Amino acid sequence: MNAKDEIRQFVQKLLTENGDDRPLADDESLLSSGRLQSIDAVEIITFLEKKFGTDFSEAGFDREQLDSVDAIDALVESIGPPKG
Amino acid sequence: MKPASPSSWTDSLWSWCKSHRDFRLIPRIETYPGVVAFAQTALGKLVLLGMFGSGFWFANDHGLPRWCLIMGTFTLTTFLPRHRRLILSIGISLLLFRQLFRHGDIFRGGIVLTPLAMNLSVIAVGMTLFWCARRWPQSIFGRRPIIFWLSGVTMFIVCIALMKPTGRAGFFLWFAVSAVVGYMWFIAYALADRNAKPVADFTLEFAALNPIWGSTNTPYPKGASYLRRIEAKESVQLAITQLKGLKLLAWAILLWLVQTEWNRFFHGYLGIPSPGEAMAMWARGTPPALHLRWASHILIFYEIILRFSVYGHSIIACCRFAGFNALRNTYRPLSSVTLIEFFNRIYYYFKELLVEFFYYPAFFRYWKSRRRLRIVFATFAAVFFGNSFYHVIRDWYYFRDMGLVKGVLSDQCLFFYNAVLAAALSISQLRRRRTRPSGFLRGQFVPSCGVAVFYILSMVFVDESRTYSLAQTFKYFLSLFNIHW
Repeated sequence: MNAKDEIRQFVQKLLTENGDDRPLADDESLLSSGRLQSIDAVEIITFLEKKFGTDFSEAGFDREQLDSVDAIDALVESIGPPKG
Repeated sequence: MKPASPSSWTDSLWSWCKSHRDFRLIPRIETYPGVVAFAQTALGKLVLLGMFGSGFWFANDHGLPRWCLIMGTFTLTTFLPRHRRLILSIGISLLLFRQLFRHGDIFRGGIVLTPLAMNLSVIAVGMTLFWCARRWPQSIFGRRPIIFWLSGVTMFIVCIALMKPTGRAGFFLWFAVSAVVGYMWFIAYALADRNAKPVADFTLEFAALNPIWGSTNTPYPKGASYLRRIEAKESVQLAITQLKGLKLLAWAILLWLVQTEWNRFFHGYLGIPSPGEAMAMWARGTPPALHLRWASHILIFYEIILRFSVYGHSIIACCRFAGFNALRNTYRPLSSVTLIEFFNRIYYYFKELLVEFFYYPAFFRYWKSRRRLRIVFATFAAVFFGNSFYHVIRDWYYFRDMGLVKGVLSDQCLFFYNAVLAAALSISQLRRRRTRPSGFLRGQFVPSCGVAVFYILSMVFVDESRTYSLAQTFKYFLSLFNIHW
């Protein structure tokens, strides 16, 4: 399973827990559309930190970077794991 | 035959309700292909404008010139959507310049330019700071522009409150404070957008600083970067967004009528006092009957929901009509089954402000290895510190009237309320992922009532008049349970 699959699976799990069973496209908006809330963004951040070692305090944060599976995948690729 | 148990009939009722959940008092016109197609024609646009304009006139007390300016702007954005940002900027500029005529009569001594000059100065400062943060992202200011801005505003207000200026200088300085406070969070959002993708022009940044659809001190719906994301790009998107706007305006009018009749019935006909009146009577030693005091506190919970819905819906309706598909500010708060869900649904854009400027910064920096502590700390940063900070600064005139220390101390009930709310929301988040019981009674009704009870009780400590100390309010709270201390 590659990074994008894992991200998609996690986001789908969050949506299901919120009672949202609608299908999810990779480019579909999550936060702007209201399908996920800010508190869900926190869950995604925690997931990315644990799974991929992403450090947001260094990288800065724009919510747009978490707005779709594609955007999250691009974020993980651009930041990568912490150095050193 | 065995009689049906209470849970089975409530569950049947719940199933029936769920099967009829598609029923809408105001139909979902944006999902009708024929209506959407018609809304894209010239005649359809004119019909939409006519309907929205009538509703907007009915729902607001703007006066004819303001109504004409706003509806004129919407007419242009409807027919020339490609130039939407520029049209909005021009519309806002005209509204700002209207202040010359609007406030002219209340300022003596020929200082009619004050409101316009102050507002334009603050907008200029905001745009300059935004430009500096983008131009020099690695400078001390560029790395932490929001902290600089918020602490700068705080220092400015503290200095003026300590100086206690009077006379004409006092008038100008306090007017400057009011202008700065009015734009404070709009500029904060602009600074938060500094890392957004490069854009061809900053007209939307300017438009977002002073949205034509209106706002409170809380920006609806956030900053320019968010507006870009939700902007209707095609004709069909614009039609759907405008239809949703029209529908929301209809909701606002309907709820406003409910609110009017509600007040007439409960406070007029039944004579139930407002919480402020009930507490004032209690403080004078002539408290209203216990059931009236309880009724007063229960009613205010629903009245606040109505109030937020009415003005939030009208603002978002206009925003949608201008072509931005913003989420509602208040969305089915009574269906919330957790405290955090209610907090998210009752006043969405204020919650977003707290999350953006207080929750996330705290969450990213502190207690990374301790998940629970991290959530609690970030929640206190937002709901206790952020919420208190927002209200203390928003109500700057208490510093002018009471002095700095007394002004801050007069907010002691708010600080207590925020601390209780922060603790409750922390627990609510930590318990969020637990499996919820199914069925109407245990899965929906009981949790929803629990949420309402928490807010009804905690809101006793929201003293907007700032008249009573925390000890007095606590005594009053106990008196609701017939405990006299």
